[in-house]
Amino acid sequence: MFDHIDPRSPTPLYAQIAARVRVAVAAGNLRPGDALPSVRQLASRLRVNPATVVQAYRELETDGFVELRQGAGTFVREVRAERRAGERAHQAASLVRRMVAEAGRLGVSVDELHAAIAEEIGARSP
Amino acid sequence: MFRVVLYGQWKWSRIVVILGTLAGFALPILSVQGATSDAANAMKAGELLAVIQSWGVLYPVLAATIGLLVAIATWAPDHRGRHVLALSLPLPRWRYVLLRFAAGLVLLVPTMLGVLAGAVLASATATLPPGLETYPVALAIRFALALAVAYAVFFAISAGTTRTSGIILGIIGAVIVVQVVASAAGIELDLTSPVQAVVMNWPGPLAIFTGRWMLIDV
Amino acid sequence: MSNAVEIHELDYRAGKSFAIQDLDLSVSTGSIYGFLGPNGSGKTTTIRLILGLLRARAGTIQVLGEPMPLAAPAVLARVGFVPEQPHLDPTLTVRETMRFRAAFYPKWDGVWAEQLLQTFDLDAERLFGKLSKGQKGKVMMLLALAQRPDLLVLDEPTDGLDPVVRRDMLSALIDYVSQHGASVFISSHLVHELERMCDWIGVMDNGRLVSHMPMEQFKNGIKRLLVSEAPADTGSAPFAVLARDRNGAASETWLVRGWESDMTAWFDGRGASVQSIVDLDLEDGFVELLRTFRRAPHGQEVL
Repeated sequence: MFDHIDPRSPTPLYAQIAARVRVAVAAGNLRPGDALPSVRQLASRLRVNPATVVQAYRELETDGFVELRQGAGTFVREVRAERRAGERAHQAASLVRRMVAEAGRLGVSVDELHAAIAEEIGARSP
Repeated sequence: MFRVVLYGQWKWSRIVVILGTLAGFALPILSVQGATSDAANAMKAGELLAVIQSWGVLYPVLAATIGLLVAIATWAPDHRGRHVLALSLPLPRWRYVLLRFAAGLVLLVPTMLGVLAGAVLASATATLPPGLETYPVALAIRFALALAVAYAVFFAISAGTTRTSGIILGIIGAVIVVQVVASAAGIELDLTSPVQAVVMNWPGPLAIFTGRWMLIDV
Repeated sequence: MSNAVEIHELDYRAGKSFAIQDLDLSVSTGSIYGFLGPNGSGKTTTIRLILGLLRARAGTIQVLGEPMPLAAPAVLARVGFVPEQPHLDPTLTVRETMRFRAAFYPKWDGVWAEQLLQTFDLDAERLFGKLSKGQKGKVMMLLALAQRPDLLVLDEPTDGLDPVVRRDMLSALIDYVSQHGASVFISSHLVHELERMCDWIGVMDNGRLVSHMPMEQFKNGIKRLLVSEAPADTGSAPFAVLARDRNGAASETWLVRGWESDMTAWFDGRGASVQSIVDLDLEDGFVELLRTFRRAPHGQEVL
């Protein structure tokens, strides 16, 4: 889940970590009550500054995704369905934004993009 | 701390210590070969003293050699690591030097004991012509002091930076080599006597090396 | 004591050619400070000065609140050092080496040292001299960490080591830092590694500290702009233009410093437009910074 954290991306590392957790919660991969890895474990695994992980967890707590229990760790909170749906919508929008920008750089027109999407989705759905 | 320093130095100088002990033990015993009770082969007093004296030359050589080798082994790991380890350890430099010096001294003890044991054994088994006495303990003590002095001198030289001590030891080595070659070729060249005259005859610890080393004497 | 390391107006000279001048540097307690710079810029010398291995001509150095090199023996008990070259006795086994070090450091943690042996997959009975470069590096990291230091000083600890070894060493380092809250001062060529873990960055060039600031500020500071109908004159720009390159007929790539998002207005007012804004990663930023510094006359404030 936390693989491919990219220090070169313009998004700060703590935001990338927080985003992964949000996506996992939105997709239902992380359930309420699940424990996130400890700051020590995650920082060591990713080889990032522990303060970065702390910042990510704090942001998630502020947004209501997790709660920090003193001495016990960080646990996923119950997140309402609308909230999760909202998070997915946010991720989808972000995906589309990136795709459209990249298409622009490649000189692909909006119509060409539409056609490609339709074909790709048509090919995937049963 | 001393234990681990001693252990490390032991690992470096094991062979030298063992060989030194064996050589120290053998030397006195070999030197009394002529003093048997067999009337046919026994030497007269004068001859025996001459033999003892010629073997006696080897004591200062052994002391200088073992002293040199143990001193080099003491500093070898530091020189190899460019002194980084020593300087980054949390103790003052003088204490570190003291630890190394003391560990080296301890490693000299086996050789000293070897000479003592050899001298005592040689004295016990030799049959002496009338008028002669053995002085095993005096010899052993003198050897021990000479060994310690040689070690101290070479320790001080090696304690410098790798370059300085290398240069000094190199010069000493070169002078000795030149002298030996010149003697072998019959060339009149005396480099060491002036040095010896200054260094050895100057009243000081190095005087212990001069003179005759006699296990058996009048 | 707020800073793990504090250097003021340091002056050091070695021979006629090399000098460190007027160095001001501080490492906050608990931070991970990355030290970058080309070869020969004075990084190793600065580290040696911090450890009290060298004596400065002028200026002050304080490590963990104590003056160096005066208080060196006491302070070094709390500093873990991983040097560039393995400097340990090659005739001792790994375990004997550990025993040697343990005798000098009162806070040595034997239990954790054993765990690290496992984690690093080291054979305790092998002679140090017979280890591979990567294994030697791991042993040095083990020794520095098992001391339980308050400050870790690492001089290119992962230089020339393969990625797996680097990963293991840095994981162990971060693991210790999260438990203990130790401060870290690490110099490296591997900019990407530093980028992940450091919260402060210092750049050294030719004996001078060219840049000293939080990591985010350094990375956010320099951006690459794709500009169309670029104006010729940049004198009035609210940002600094480090470089401009033409990409064909209508567009240019600009490298700028001190950019803020509302500055697109400056372009709009001149009939130009910014097509894209890209953050430079640490490596590019570092290279550009050095290029700029070398072009600027000496003493001029760059960043």
